[in-house]
Amino acid sequence: MSLESAINSTPSAVSPKVRLRRWGASVILIGAWLLLIAATGFYRHDFISHQTLLAIAFTMSVVGVLAIGQGIVAISGGFIDLSQPACLILSGLVAVRLSEAGLPLVLVVAGAVIAGMAWGALNAAIIVLAKLNPVIVTLATNFIGLAALYLVFQLAQVPNNSPIYNFGRSSVLGLPAIWWPMLLLVILVGLLMRSTRYGRRATAVGGNRFAAQARGISLRRTRFATFVAAGGFVGFASVLFASAAGPFNPSSGNTLQLNVIAAVILGGISLAGGRGNFWMLLLSVGFLSTIPTALVFFGLSSDTQSIFQGVILMIAVSIDGYRARRGTP
Amino acid sequence: MRMIRKALVLLATVPVLTLSLAWPAAAAKFKLGMAVGGNTCCEWMKAQGDVARALAEKMGWDYVELSNNNDPAAALKNAQIFVQQGVNAVIQFNGQPSSNPAISAVLKAANIPVVTYDIADPGMYFVGIDNLAAGIAGGEQLGKLIKEKWNCAPDLVISSEGSGAGIVNTWRTGGMRTGVKHICPDIPESKYVSFEGSGDAAVALQPARDLLAAHPDAVKMAVVGINDGGVLGLINAAEQLGRADQVMGWGQDGAFITGKNVNPHLMGSVFYFLEGYAVYAIRDVIGPVAAGKAPALKADPGDPASKVEPCPVSAAQAAKVPDMPERVKQLLAAPPGTTEYALFCPNK
Repeated sequence: MSLESAINSTPSAVSPKVRLRRWGASVILIGAWLLLIAATGFYRHDFISHQTLLAIAFTMSVVGVLAIGQGIVAISGGFIDLSQPACLILSGLVAVRLSEAGLPLVLVVAGAVIAGMAWGALNAAIIVLAKLNPVIVTLATNFIGLAALYLVFQLAQVPNNSPIYNFGRSSVLGLPAIWWPMLLLVILVGLLMRSTRYGRRATAVGGNRFAAQARGISLRRTRFATFVAAGGFVGFASVLFASAAGPFNPSSGNTLQLNVIAAVILGGISLAGGRGNFWMLLLSVGFLSTIPTALVFFGLSSDTQSIFQGVILMIAVSIDGYRARRGTP
Repeated sequence: MRMIRKALVLLATVPVLTLSLAWPAAAAKFKLGMAVGGNTCCEWMKAQGDVARALAEKMGWDYVELSNNNDPAAALKNAQIFVQQGVNAVIQFNGQPSSNPAISAVLKAANIPVVTYDIADPGMYFVGIDNLAAGIAGGEQLGKLIKEKWNCAPDLVISSEGSGAGIVNTWRTGGMRTGVKHICPDIPESKYVSFEGSGDAAVALQPARDLLAAHPDAVKMAVVGINDGGVLGLINAAEQLGRADQVMGWGQDGAFITGKNVNPHLMGSVFYFLEGYAVYAIRDVIGPVAAGKAPALKADPGDPASKVEPCPVSAAQAAKVPDMPERVKQLLAAPPGTTEYALFCPNK
């Protein structure tokens, strides 16, 4: 067995104390979510209903898949990908054009995912080849992408009653059809990040890139693969977005960015890299998606919702900073 | 010898000076500046520039187009650029009108007349719709449907607000509520609820779902809003929650009431034919200015320099109206001064 394969196959040494802390964070998040549901349900009994469940599940769907892409970028030490809105709209536009051409849903999905991966490859090429800061690069490509998209189109919409349109409005087992792929992807990516060589390498690069390099891991290849994969997830999210959103324009994806970043941080994925749990990510997406719905039941306005989301983001960033200083997961 | 050289230089200079003084006067063409709204929400904002450009070219004018990027600071900077560019008149749509007083002052100091679309300023010629009248007209049409289908007893009248548009939102969305009340005056105030839809179907979706979830027992819901996009956001949300048959909406601006993808629960809208406003501006203000006969300043929406008529239409009527690209094509092919209202409104 070579040294590298030995490293790759060795399970990470995590002490029982650290494992307990991780579980503790999950329990706190579940507790906060249940408390929110209970408080709102106590205030308005009709909060506990199938309609509420549908509303929250729809909100979770697109944000959840985007958060997966953002999560793997963060875990691999890329900080955050600020070009997700442009990638979402670009891939969504591809999905719309393919569905207008009458292609089956599978090909529409494939086209959107490929478009997302191509966008990710563009980001990766600039970051890796020019050795530039990913945050600055993705901020710039987002600006450029949105401006270019505005030159190409003002409004796009999947055709009424097309397969993708019906996909965005149908239910499976009482939940939105677009929610299930999100759940499956979160579980799958959570498993793959732990059990595959790429997953362990990405985590290692994010945790300590010098140590990873010393272990023979190629930073360039790992980072390139990370951005391409992240783009693929955004491409998939764009199918869910296009299927559900109705007519959208180049700036329609901007409002999702803050929620996605908040979900990643609240889910315990460190912006410094090397640490993250996709089970926690699912919880944080669910918690954050419940807040705006709950606030409406309390009779609060959209402006108040933004204040709550901003405060939660600040708390999450503070916790992330505290964890980083303490060196705790 | 020196005297002869000086005389030759002088002789050579005279024609050059004469030409340079005479040239600008001979070549000076009327130059129109156009500041488009630049909000990516709306297709018509870009089309407003396209129509103005085509009409200016037909008139043989020079044309400079800038985008306000839906940003008050950008709009003010554009006014300064227009002054530097030496335009003779300006048309603007400024969806963020907080900078309008400053823009007005900059252009007034340079003696450049300015036309503003839809959002009035005391120093600018007003060309546009009476937003309040358009809101009331749409609300009355929806009110008639509420009376016919639900005997004026809806469970909710939902407003999809677009607060960012300021007074325009108050006029249009509030006007629609007023129009509904004209037909059904006995709907209790408690039945009127609002959410922030930002005038964007995709952005409105999530708050619309939340609002519907918070009213699980409502089965007769009428929807009004600042524009078609905001209203459509709630209709799409209702479809996702399995309640599409419980809603009927009436929009404003006509953006989603034509073409192949009209939602069957969007019962109608109010056309302004926004993309064609340049016809009014050029016919009634810019043309006379170019001819040296500037009209008296009319800045009040109640007594505008040029009034755009609102055109409320049902979905069935709208089906016969061409979509925006086709309307622009026909407008530019029509005799000068012909408006889209005259060409396309079925309820003249």
